[in-house]
Amino acid sequence: MNLTEVVERISHKIESKGKSADKKKIEAKLKRLVEEFGVHITEAERTVLNEMAKEYSISSLGPRSAELKEIGTLVPGEWVTVEGKVVSLSSPPTPAIAQAGIIADTSGAIRFVVWARAGAPPLDQGLWYHFDSAVVDEYKGAPKLNIHSGTTITRMEQDAPLIPAVVKIAELGPGVGSTRAKMIQEWEPAHPRMLQTGLLGDESGTIKFTIWEENGKEKLTLNTVYSIYYAQVDEFNGRLSLNLTGAISVPEDIDLQVRSGEMISGAMVHIALGSGLVKRCPVNGCNRVLSRQNYCPVHEIQNTFRYDLRIKGVIDDGTKTHNVLIPREPVEALSGLILDKAVEIAENNPLGMDEVFFRIRDLLLGRYYTCRGSEMEDRILVKECSKRIYDPKDLATLLNRAGEVV
Amino acid sequence: MNGQGSSPRQGGGFEREPARRVFAQELRESRLHFRETMEEKSPGFILLPTGVRANRVFIVGTLTEKERRGDQNLFYHARIADPTGTFFIMAGSYQPDAMQQIARIEPPAFVAVVGKPNVYESPSGAVLISVRAESITSVDAETRNLWILDTARSTLDRLDTLGKDEDSRKALEHYHTDPSLYRTMVYNALAQLKL
Repeated sequence: MNLTEVVERISHKIESKGKSADKKKIEAKLKRLVEEFGVHITEAERTVLNEMAKEYSISSLGPRSAELKEIGTLVPGEWVTVEGKVVSLSSPPTPAIAQAGIIADTSGAIRFVVWARAGAPPLDQGLWYHFDSAVVDEYKGAPKLNIHSGTTITRMEQDAPLIPAVVKIAELGPGVGSTRAKMIQEWEPAHPRMLQTGLLGDESGTIKFTIWEENGKEKLTLNTVYSIYYAQVDEFNGRLSLNLTGAISVPEDIDLQVRSGEMISGAMVHIALGSGLVKRCPVNGCNRVLSRQNYCPVHEIQNTFRYDLRIKGVIDDGTKTHNVLIPREPVEALSGLILDKAVEIAENNPLGMDEVFFRIRDLLLGRYYTCRGSEMEDRILVKECSKRIYDPKDLATLLNRAGEVV
Repeated sequence: MNGQGSSPRQGGGFEREPARRVFAQELRESRLHFRETMEEKSPGFILLPTGVRANRVFIVGTLTEKERRGDQNLFYHARIADPTGTFFIMAGSYQPDAMQQIARIEPPAFVAVVGKPNVYESPSGAVLISVRAESITSVDAETRNLWILDTARSTLDRLDTLGKDEDSRKALEHYHTDPSLYRTMVYNALAQLKL
């Protein structure tokens, strides 16, 4: 949530009451609270909205939205009223947060935090509540419900059964999700407070999981299938991982076929000759790359051919190198150069196909990528690949690590 | 991939030597260099003070200066700055790709370099570590930032296992590596990025 959005929202609310809103003034007030005084933006929004309401003598301008929303439809930047069941509670990461967890209704589930300043009575796991005027923002790529001092919480006397929608690993998205998966790898915990970390898999793919130390929390057993309800799905560097600390994991007496693929991440340190635009042998089922003289090692000289794009490269994480073979689609996605355009360049340039090689090399070499694919004969056949993205959270983690012993 | 820079892998193939992530300050303090065997094609290594052998390095920084030298035997000298100091880069006629790439990049620019570090001793006893570039490409600021994180992480990883394997025990013995110095270096390098 940024300031401009909040300014828009406040002025929209004022205008909806038939008054004209002074956006500059609203922005100045917000900025002062947020930047000068370090007030949380949701609290700043509430304060400014109230001030403006008084100034224009508007009653009931307050961030009320009487209409009940379904949890599964919430998007960041909304004031909402929802009803849901507290399905999970986890220990709050900072004293500024009184409670954190997950609430769900029949449409879905969402992470929530109760800010300490809200002064709200503690919520109990397993009970239903009505939340009036809570704010949805974004955290780790997923919507999160904020319960602040302006939220009214009412305990509900109901207990409708909830059946979370269980999806395949490949279908999980940031937020809260339920799946059925087999624990296939256990890794060394990277943090003393980490109870367990490793890899879960099903027919559709694999995902990293983490469980943090918490009272009564138990480890998963290797090679066992679990039904996992209400796990936190985090996004980090474009990759998803599951936080099972607040989730319910039930062992199942079944087995699962796991689709395993290699996931590699590192710098592209080499792009070999033979990358870029290539000509392939047209003989049915052959597809071998032709030499410059259109010579196929099996079918000899060919008069026709099929153009293709590929990269034979090396991705290096600093301790290990991986030979990768990247086919047309991911090459197009990474370079922004599509096959037709590459053919056009090759046919209109004195350097011919070399020009395409040089362009692709200069675009990709020395950059960081995360690729997924299957390993065959010392080479990873890449299915999908994305550019790694700078995440300030990594910086914070490393600063802490570097500063630990100093 | 040719024999150089590779070592035998099980099954008969050759495994490419990984490109180590190292800050300029640490590379500049490296001295010990050796070959794995006496054979001519055996890869050469330098031992980094944080305890890992490097046949190849991966560097991202700001190209601040480049200079063309030589007539018959043309080569480029370049300086690349990172948050901790300066790398000295060379690209000669044995690295035609790198030489042509560097010819087209005008400083200042963010560049990524893959290359092999070498230790040179002048007759007067001064030591210079220079990196012979295999490739040099111009990159964006985000790649530079990613490299700082990557190099910080690798350096901290090496410090965490210092003294636990043969190479890093050798480094401790030779350099008397003080981990807190390198932690401070990493911290200061990271502090140049925005949270």
